[in-house]
Amino acid sequence: MEKVLLKGNYAIAKAAIKAGCSCYFGYPITPQTEIGEYLSEAMPALGRGYVCAESEVAAINMVMGAVATGVKAMTSSSSCAIGLMQETMSYAASDELPVVLISVMRAGPGLGYIYPAQGDYNQAVTGGGNGDYRTIVLSPSTVQDSIDLTYKAFYLAQKYRNPVILLSDGFLGQMMEPAVLHDYPYDEIDNSSWALTGAKDRGARQIRSLEVNQEKQNAHVYKLFEKYALIEKEEVSYEEENTLDADILLVAFGSMTRNIKAAARKLREKGLKVGTFRPVTLWPFPSKRLLELSETIKNILVVEMNMGQMTKDVKLAVNGNAKVYHFGRPTGKWVNVDEIVQATLNLGGVSYANI
Amino acid sequence: MEKNIIIAGFGGQGILLTGTILANAFMLENKNVICCPCYGAEMRGGEVNCEVVVDDESEVCANKSEADIVIALNQLSFEKFITKLKKGGTIIANSSLVKMCKPRSDINYVFAMISEKAKELGDIKTTNMVSLGLLAQIEKLSLDTLQNAVKKVFASKSQKLLNLNFEALKIGSNCAYQS
Repeated sequence: MEKVLLKGNYAIAKAAIKAGCSCYFGYPITPQTEIGEYLSEAMPALGRGYVCAESEVAAINMVMGAVATGVKAMTSSSSCAIGLMQETMSYAASDELPVVLISVMRAGPGLGYIYPAQGDYNQAVTGGGNGDYRTIVLSPSTVQDSIDLTYKAFYLAQKYRNPVILLSDGFLGQMMEPAVLHDYPYDEIDNSSWALTGAKDRGARQIRSLEVNQEKQNAHVYKLFEKYALIEKEEVSYEEENTLDADILLVAFGSMTRNIKAAARKLREKGLKVGTFRPVTLWPFPSKRLLELSETIKNILVVEMNMGQMTKDVKLAVNGNAKVYHFGRPTGKWVNVDEIVQATLNLGGVSYANI
Repeated sequence: MEKNIIIAGFGGQGILLTGTILANAFMLENKNVICCPCYGAEMRGGEVNCEVVVDDESEVCANKSEADIVIALNQLSFEKFITKLKKGGTIIANSSLVKMCKPRSDINYVFAMISEKAKELGDIKTTNMVSLGLLAQIEKLSLDTLQNAVKKVFASKSQKLLNLNFEALKIGSNCAYQS
């Protein structure tokens, strides 16, 4: 298929349509507004649902209501406004509803700033809602990934009846890059056993997150965790380069991956054996593979546009087997290739030297 | 090799469109390219810029770094982006709106009356296309590919408008300049 030059946000919106998303509910916020803007025209033209909700809280609850009826639906937002949606994410996890949430990160904390950052790793991966729950988190690094992983988000949400977050960032959302808008590659999942489609010719169904009996509540959470264990077994996804002979591993997620790859190429030219690693699924996190890699690679530099959120997960994964350093800053200019090269050369020294 | 091109000027001069067309042209040549329009609290008449980063071999970085080439269509962007040029880089300035001066000695200058050329063609709105033609002349880009990129981006526009833009590209590619 032909490549087209696409903005990251539009790529997500176009992919959502091709994935069969029937309803979009959203509330504008920079830097993700193009998603809602595009869908405001495209969805009604296709006879599908579009609602510019009165607030983010309303938008995510509308998504929860829509997906409960068995259709595909999503919302998109950024940072502080994703914060407002956390209550519903916890409910959707407990209700086992296939909510798809597109999160295009800007700077925080608080209202923060409209420029890109990667400071919502914790928010997406560990969630801000109450209780023991998990959301699947996918992290695109190119505009092509934004398409492919939007498809995957809808698929995994349906397959596991679980909320999925696509964690993009303001850089990737705003930039244009050639990509192929291919068709939705996954099979449709039959949801006729649970969807609330009206009780005609069958018994009534309930989807709820309230159990008034503690044993039932325990059983419910244990059942959720059996599902999470299955997801961790089946759905871990990562990308690695030149790790076989590497002494140093650069780790990044999202659009920062591009920069660690370029830095690794420069460092190889200088004679350093450097490999790169990028988790595609931030949850489930590729801990097992990182632990394997730490058998031979003893220095790991995690590069992220935040103060070390994924670094903590890398440390947990390698469990003391390798030294793990963080390099990054909260927002602003993306840490560039030369800075990463320099930080790698200075490994073991001061890890916040760039601030 | 990665090459970073910044196009800058007033809001309304077609800066983002120019970036989009240039990025499409690189795409048509099967190069890795990204195009990063500035965003934020921008307004009509304010400063707008767009970065196009191209790489022959590998994936382009998420980078907003020093530029190899700057196209400055007004005085403000000339002053702002001349500081972002790499040593040995080139600034293409629209001397219809930019004062001819050379504050740095370690870069190359290309001064051309870009807006005048567009006016001579009959539409000042083609200033951006003339500048793209001039870039093609300096950087030895294929005019055919640029024309194809215009076709792609202007798919829904009339042949008349296409022809006007082709003509503007051609004028830019033959345009005399002072260095």
